Amino acid sequence: MRALVVDDSRTMRRIVADILGDLGFDTSQAGNGREALDMLEAGQTFDVACIDWNMPVMDGLEFIAAVRAQHEWSGLTLIMVTTEGERDQVVRALAAGAHEYLMKPFTPDALASKLGLLGLLPVEESL
Amino acid sequence: MSITIAVDARHITAIATEVFAAMIDRETGLLTPWPGGPMTVADPLHAWVDLCTVPASRLQLTTDAVTAADLTRAFLTLGEAEPVTEADVVDAFGELANVLGGSIKALLPEHVAHTLPEVSRQSPSDAGAVRLNEARLAWRGRPLVISLWRI
Repeated sequence: MRALVVDDSRTMRRIVADILGDLGFDTSQAGNGREALDMLEAGQTFDVACIDWNMPVMDGLEFIAAVRAQHEWSGLTLIMVTTEGERDQVVRALAAGAHEYLMKPFTPDALASKLGLLGLLPVEESL
Repeated sequence: MSITIAVDARHITAIATEVFAAMIDRETGLLTPWPGGPMTVADPLHAWVDLCTVPASRLQLTTDAVTAADLTRAFLTLGEAEPVTEADVVDAFGELANVLGGSIKALLPEHVAHTLPEVSRQSPSDAGAVRLNEARLAWRGRPLVISLWRI
């Protein structure tokens, strides 16, 4: 399984990538939505992307909309990982095409649980 | 329309406790209220995000530079002896302010945006800024202040 971590914070990219690595994912990182989109346009493929909302250049919501506009990327599962916790914001992200939503702060177990709900982990890992 | 912030020191402390337990320490009990007595933050480092409330407000995090480096090691699950760069500290300390600010924001009755974090050895100076509240905390016994300002 291949995962893409999109966050402007190197700290958060590393933490999320470490968690995903421990769960068996092969991970790549991008510092904003534009960088992530460039990777997809260059032909890189991923099973899941964990995306921050507030980023310079291209934010997470714009990135999700851009991914959802391309049929060829319809197989990419999108998880918003963000400080935006208000109900309206969750609804906006899901309406834009995010599959799941995880609010910071989160624990490794919380991320694993979301991946499990999406069928991206072996059953024993998602429990 | 006015969106004011009504968050007291107990709210700030509760949020910080949750954030530190989940993302910094991976256990509870290492962030506690300051036990009392004078608090001196030598060689301070500040991180903040501004909340687009009306009037605007700011969540600011202050500790000493050495503690900020140790926070960064803890955040990144590095060993005590492992080096961290200034860029690591700026990024991690800023992200900590970002997560704390986002959590404070979630207490508001409606959505407001917040800025990307800034980090500096100089406290942000805004003429007329008023401190609304602050939580004086001890992280592993060392001083850490989280303050909320109207700017």
